[in-house]
Formats: sequence, structure tokens, C-alpha cells
Amino acid sequence: MTLRFLGRDWRGGELGVLLSALILAVAVVVGISAFVSRLQGALLSESARFLAADLVVSSATEPPDEWLIQAQAEALSVSQTLAFPSMLVGEGDDMVMVSVKAVAPAYPLKGTLQISDNAFSEVRTASDIPALGEIWLAPRLFALMDLSPGDTVMVGEAALRVAGAIRGEPDATTGVFGFGPRVMMNLADIERTGVIQPGSRVRYRFLLSGEVDALERFEAWVKPRLGQGQGVQSVKQSQPRIGDTLDRAQGFLLLAGSLGVVLAAAAIALAARRFGERHTQYVAIMKSLGAQSVVIDQLYRRSLLMLGCLATALGCAVGWGIQEAFITVLDTLLPFQPGAVGWKPFAIGGVTSAVCLGLFAWPPLRRLSEATPLRVFRQDIGFDHAQRPLDHLLGALALVGLMWWYSNDLTVTLAVVSGLLLVVLAGWQLARWLLRGSRRIGGFAGSIWRLALAGLQRGGNGNAMQMVIFAIAIMLMLLLTVVRSSLIGQWQAQLPAGSPNHFLLNLAPEEREPLQTFFNDNALRSEALYPMTRGRVVEVNQQTLPEWDEVETGPRQREANFTWSAVLPPDNILLQGEWWQAGTEDQVVSLEQEFARELGVSLGDHLTLRVGAHSFSARVTSVRKVDWQSMKPNFFMVFPEAVLERFPGMYMTSFFLPPERKSALNRLIRQFPTLTVVELDLVIKEMRSIVDQVARALELVLAVILLAGSLVLIAGVQSSIDTRMQESALLRALGAGRQLILGSLWIEFAVLGALAGALAAAGAELAAWALQTRVFEIVWQPTLLLWLTGPLVGAVVVGGLGVWSCRRIVSTPPMHLLREV
Amino acid sequence: MIKVTGLLKRVATQSGELEILRGIDLEIPTGASAAIVGASGSGKSTLLGLLAGMDVASAGEIRLGNAVLGELDEDQRAQLRADKIGFVFQNFQLVPALTALENVMLPLELRGTPDADVSARQFLDAVGLSDRLQHFPTTLSGGEQQRVAIARAFATRPAILFADEPTGNLDTHTGERIIDLLFDLNDKAGTTLVLVTHDHRLAARCDLRFSMSAGALEKATD
Repeated sequence: MTLRFLGRDWRGGELGVLLSALILAVAVVVGISAFVSRLQGALLSESARFLAADLVVSSATEPPDEWLIQAQAEALSVSQTLAFPSMLVGEGDDMVMVSVKAVAPAYPLKGTLQISDNAFSEVRTASDIPALGEIWLAPRLFALMDLSPGDTVMVGEAALRVAGAIRGEPDATTGVFGFGPRVMMNLADIERTGVIQPGSRVRYRFLLSGEVDALERFEAWVKPRLGQGQGVQSVKQSQPRIGDTLDRAQGFLLLAGSLGVVLAAAAIALAARRFGERHTQYVAIMKSLGAQSVVIDQLYRRSLLMLGCLATALGCAVGWGIQEAFITVLDTLLPFQPGAVGWKPFAIGGVTSAVCLGLFAWPPLRRLSEATPLRVFRQDIGFDHAQRPLDHLLGALALVGLMWWYSNDLTVTLAVVSGLLLVVLAGWQLARWLLRGSRRIGGFAGSIWRLALAGLQRGGNGNAMQMVIFAIAIMLMLLLTVVRSSLIGQWQAQLPAGSPNHFLLNLAPEEREPLQTFFNDNALRSEALYPMTRGRVVEVNQQTLPEWDEVETGPRQREANFTWSAVLPPDNILLQGEWWQAGTEDQVVSLEQEFARELGVSLGDHLTLRVGAHSFSARVTSVRKVDWQSMKPNFFMVFPEAVLERFPGMYMTSFFLPPERKSALNRLIRQFPTLTVVELDLVIKEMRSIVDQVARALELVLAVILLAGSLVLIAGVQSSIDTRMQESALLRALGAGRQLILGSLWIEFAVLGALAGALAAAGAELAAWALQTRVFEIVWQPTLLLWLTGPLVGAVVVGGLGVWSCRRIVSTPPMHLLREV
Repeated sequence: MIKVTGLLKRVATQSGELEILRGIDLEIPTGASAAIVGASGSGKSTLLGLLAGMDVASAGEIRLGNAVLGELDEDQRAQLRADKIGFVFQNFQLVPALTALENVMLPLELRGTPDADVSARQFLDAVGLSDRLQHFPTTLSGGEQQRVAIARAFATRPAILFADEPTGNLDTHTGERIIDLLFDLNDKAGTTLVLVTHDHRLAARCDLRFSMSAGALEKATD
């Protein structure tokens, strides 16, 4: 019987709206979470390029065979690298200290190796690792040691043939400031060199990639087996810059998903309410025909259950389609394979559907069975569809719970909820007050306006409710737009065109003048020169710190680059303490905030530092925030000149070199043979492409949410259409012209929309402030445009939708309309 | 047999409590037809609603056959309506989303009667609407809608049929046809018929006539 009733209801139309709202809810949630999880997988694997793997276990000794056996059991791909400093001996017996990296087949597991035939000739992607007996050199070694391809060099006892220049390695950033220039050789040649002896200072990296689950299992397996000097690195830890971008993108996507849930819930509640209203009379008739409450209750309960199952199935299908469409749209832009969908998004969809049905759709229907049969005599007998306080409370709690569960972030949830609360509470009062005021204004206006504003006022609470719903939808749409813009703006500002893309290290003090001349002659722009001394923090307040290898986390000895400066470096922000007077003789130091936190140090603490064989102490007098994304020289520790002047220091700087002038590097290295050049241009290009892809993904998600928001607006307009149709039909019957009716409808909805838009702007501003300062860590600025766009969008969209929904009024004979309503 | 004694109905209004029915006594034998006439607002429809168990009296007793309405709860009264009572409304009260056939099937389905659609077709045939089975109410004329409503009221073969202004929304000619139909079905099925009407010609055809005025009922004299 339920099926038959559902089938008949379908023709009535209201069921279609409710079903669409449910499908929308499930589809948005499934679509976004499936997209997010696939994108996350993809972005992680994209970022894995910077690690050359998904997971790395590093070790000071040769990785035990059991790692390999375990990795193979998990069907993971593996490779290995070995890095150590060594002397490279050229044909003319010139010797240079280099950083050797010996790699095993399959390296890199993620990302690509960039090589060229000669020092700075055309870059290409290497298809394999260096062949046995061959070696690739950092470009500057060619000039430094006067080498050409085909020459022979010695690493320890092994003679290796120079086969190319190494121009980019995915995991180059790990240890950029380490030893000398990079050389890369085949791991199988290592034994021939005879340089690796027990106790040699070497770093093995065991690289893994494969299925996420298998990786997690391996990580869990290996962690308890790690000894001293062994540690696990995953993508997120390895690249803080990418980690940030990823975290924010993920935060945004989940925020979008949560907003999707709110919007869908609003649409469902609206549709269910309307469904309930339209069915009150039906129920009264059924009761007058002898239907008992329990029969009616059962009928609607079962209907809703069937509807829920249908909506969940269809919603999952549509959601899958949405994410598939996203991936297809992005396909040509994604250089990597999106991850698998998995079952989780569908489970989320199912739960969302159940919660929405139970807490948003059921309450207005639950009381249908209480409708009195007396309504068949007198339709004016009111029926209280309004949800009771307990329903509201349950609904609100469910909504907060869903958002929290979905975003997995309490701050995000609270930020959005505070915005929503502002809209609902302040909005409700304001709406009633403004609507009353509008009547007064209307009294002075022409007849179209008077009619429209009287209509608004007459609606009373119903209109206030509708306005709050519009405001919520507009608020969420504005909020997402604002956050997206500032997020993308910030990402782009992170690496503006012309950012330094090369670092210069190891510049001797006497080379400063000639280098400046070189830059001037070649019309290159460089950052300031910073003196740099390598040193180590060994004690905090006379307490010796454990060695870096001894513990995995917490305060431990650290090596860092020390610099001195009379003034606070540009782009640094002083968070605590004061900067010293220029020329001070005090033994003081300024720390970067994260560095201070990791050392567990605060203002006034004393550090014991070691440079070479010398120890000295310094008191912490300030803590700074450093913009690590600026690609300019940045330092954990800055001292006054007097503290470091007795130590021999080299200088460093960074500069921008346009890609087409890459050959200038050859001249630079010939002129300054001891200089270390770090090429970051490839890394920057990669980062830009990731940011571009993420930005595009965010735009697509925004589009889906805007669509969901529009559907809520439509449902909101629909909810009051019956009364408005009836009134307008009466007016037409009384001889009102098309222009008067359309004009007053237009004004009525536009005023409602504009007021809702103003409310929405306030709510969005509050939520944006909370999100940007607490979650995304972006500098918040009031968005003036918001206060303009909100009311304007509200007026145009709600006004347009309202008139469009009522368009039949002026095209259908009033007699028909009066009969229908 | 319908027996009403000392029936009172009070409602709360903004200006205090209002007495709509003041001590009504009434007796209608099984199988008889009765008309209640009276001006608008005299309380006729309220009385009818109470008799059909759709509302609760403030005081007094209503007895339908063996059942005392005051002793039944809402669900038991609904069951009584399903088993024994048919109702025809002034404004037809057809479900707009259902076809004529489905509207007539509705009470049968609610009772779980097998072959609801066969019986419904028979009754629609009896009111002369066999060619309108799949029409929706908005596409039927007023007279046709009322005939659907009558078919629905008789479909469950009720012991008592209440009709609230059954011709109130119809023109004279159509009204007469509806009245003929009502009495014809009443004769064939032996149903007790209780009518509320303005229409004196209709009242004249009933066995019993009552007149309602300001909440009080008295037996009308011809």
C-alpha cells in the first residue's frame, strides 16, 4: 500500500521536491568527499615527488634485509639511496669535496630526475639511473674541475665515466645546504669505491611507494623496529611548504563539504515542511474516511524510509557522477593519476541520508497523523507544522555533529556555526523589525510598492523564516567565495613572478665586491648578502641536549646556519622581545618561533652554542616569525655582529635568474669556482603547478556548492508560492494588470532577498574572520565587496527566482488558478 | 439508530468562551432520512462533525447504534467511521493528486478491502462516471466532483451517511440530480441519511426535519 501511495504522491509533485532535496544532500556529500579523497590521494602522490617516494625510512647503517622482505610482502615498490661526503678526484688530480648520492634501480619512485648532457645544456628527464661505471655531476663541477662528458673521475678507488649533468632531483631539497656539489652514481658501484667503512658518516634512505593501506601497515610494522639513527619520513613531514598548501586545500574542501551538508539539510527541511503542509488536508480526508492515526503514521514512516533508500542509492550514483565529472574536467590538467574512490564517501552519504531523513524530514511529517479530521469542514483550522523546540535542538545538534564529523575539524565547525547562529538569531529579530519598517516606508510609496510591502508584512513570521533561510544559503555561498579568493590570492602571492630562484652559498668575504659587479654587469637583481656560519645548539640553560640521533622528537641538539645582522631582517616579524641596538656587544640571540618551540626555549633562556671547536653562550632576547615561503635567505638564529665576528664566515644570497639566461651560471661558476649554486627554479615551477591544480579543484567544488545553494533558494521561494499564487490570482480576478502583479512580486522577493543578503554578509564576515584567522592562518581583512554583493545578489537572485516561479500567474486564466489553489 | 442527548459544544475564543451547541436532543431511527436546516453559523456543520465523531462534545452523549462516541478515543472513532459512516462534504474534499477512481478506492484501501478497484468502478458506474475514471478532480465539473464524493461515501456501504450541504456548491439542475442519486442509493442500501442543508426542497424529501437556530435544535413543523 505504501508503494501505491508513494506512486500517487509522485504525481502531486511535492514528493519530487523532497526526493530531489534528499538526492542533492547525498550527492553533494558523496561527490565532494569522493572528490576530496581522490584528490588528496593524488595531491599526496604529487607531493611524494619531493620525497622521491611515498614513504622513506632513513638509516645510518645499511637497511636490514627484513625491511625489504616486509615491503615485498606488502607488494610495495622499493628503492634505496645512499648519501655521503667524499672527495672527487679529477683527471688533473684536482680534488673537490662532493656530496655523493648512490642510487638503486627504480629511483626515484616518485617524481623524475632531470639531467643534461653538458653543464647547462638542454634539460631532459632521465629514463634510468646512472649506468654501472658512470657518474652524473652537478653542473658547477664541470667548470670547477674542467671536465667534459666522457672524462674519468675517481670516487674512492672507483674510476667512473662522466655521463651527464644532474639538473634536478626530486628529493634535492632534503639536505640542500649540506655538503658540496652533488654527484650521482649507481649503488652497485659503491663496493668498488671502498669508501664505506663501518662508522663512516653516511645516510641510507629506504624508499617505498604503493597502496596507502600497505604503506600504513609497513610504517606501523617498521616503527617499533627502528634503532638509533633510524627514522620514518612521510610526504607531509618532508615538505612543509607543500604540507601547508595541502592542509589548507583539504581544509577548504572539507569546509565546502560541510556547507554542502548544511545547505542540503535546509533544502530537505524546507521540502519536508512543504510536503507536510500540502498533505495536511489529505490526512484530514483520510481520517474522515476512517483512517487511524497509527495507519497514517505508518504510511508516512514507510514512505520516508523507501524514499530514503531510493534517495541514497540515486544520490550515491549522482555523487559518483559529480566527482567523475570533476576528474574528467581536470583530467588534462592533472599530470598524475587520481586515487581510488573507496567505500568511505558512500558510507558518509548513507549516514547523511539517515540523519537528514530522521531529523530534518521526519519531524514535520511525524505530526501529520495528529491532523484533525475537522479540517474537512473548516480548512481554516490551523495545523502547527512548525517544529517544536526539541526538534530544533535535535536538528541543530545533528547539523553540528554532521559538520564536525565531516570536516573532522572543530574549529571549522564552530566558525561556520557561529556565523549561522548570528544569521539565525540576530537575523530573525532583524527580519521582523525590518519587515515591519518596510510597511511604513511602503505607505509613502506608489501602489506597486504598497502592495509588495504589505505582502511582505502580512507574511510576518513566515517571511522572517524565509528570509533567514535565504540568508543562510547566501551566507554560505559568500563565505566559500571569500575564503577561496583569499586562499588562492595568498598562494599566488607566496611566489610572485621574479621571486629569487637560485641560492648562492659559500661566498668568501673578499668575493662580495666582485659578485656585486658580476650581478651589475649581467643586470641581475639579488637579495642582500648574509654572513653565514655553521653552528650547533648544545645546551639550554646549562642542560645538555640529547644528540639529534638519540631521540626522535623533542628538544635535541641541532645544527643551524648562524648569521648576524644589525637590524631585523626584512619580511621577519618580531613576535616577542626587542631587537638589539646596532653595535651592541651583548651576547644575545634572536630565534625563529618554530625553532624556539622545538628547543623548548623562551625569552631570557641561555643557549650554549658551538662553532667548530669554540663554545659560547647567548641569551634569547627576541623571537621572530619568518616567511619561509619567500625564497629569500632566512635564518633560525640571528646574532649581533659582535658575537660572530671572531668566527670565519662565508656569505649567502639568493637571486632571480630568468630561464632564458640560464647560461649566465656557467660564467658565474667559472669566475667564482668555490661558490655553491642551488637551483630552485624547477622546484618553484613544480610548486606553482600544484597550486594551480589545487586552485582549479577548489573552483569546481565552489561551483557545486553554489548549485546547492541555488537549489535551497528555489526550495525557499517554492515554500511560499501557494499563498502568493492565491493572492495574485485574486488580484487578477479583481482586475489587477500584469505589470502591477509582476512588479509587486518582483519588489516583494527582491526586498526579501536584499535584506537576506545584508544579513548573509554579516554572517559570512564573522565566519570568514574566524576561519581565516583560526584555520587557514591568513591575514583577515574586512571584505567591503561582500556588503555590496550580498544584498545585490540576494535581490537579483531571489527576486528573479520568485518572479520566475510565479510566472504562471500572469499566463494562466485566474479561474484556473483559483480552482487549483 | 442515532440518539443524541443534552449535547453541548463550547469553544474558546478571544472574547471568552462561546457556546455553539446548547443542549441538543435528537433521535433518528435506522434507515430513516433526516434534514437539518438553519441559517449560516447556526451550528449545523458543528453538529454534523460531532455526530460523525470527527470532533469531541463538551457535554452530552451521542449514541450511534451500540457505540457511545464519548467513550471512544480518536482511533476508535476513526475505526467506527471506517466501518459504519460515510460522509459527503459541501466542498467535495477530493484529494487533488488522485484520479476519480483512486479517490473512491481510498476508503476501501484504508480498510484493507480486497479488489478495491472493482468496487470503486461499480460505484462510479452507479453515479454515471464510468467514463471519467482517470480524470483528476480539477478537470471535473462541480457536479461531477460531487458525484465522485458520493460514490466514495457509499463505497464502504456505510450504515449512516452524513451529507453537509451536498448541493450547496451546485446549480439547481445539477443539485436535483445529486439529490435523486443520494435518495436512490439510500433506498437501495437501507442507509440512515442525515443531511445538513439550506435547500427546502431537499429537506422536504426527508422523513424527519429539524431546524437549527443559534445552537438550539427543534423539530420542524411543515
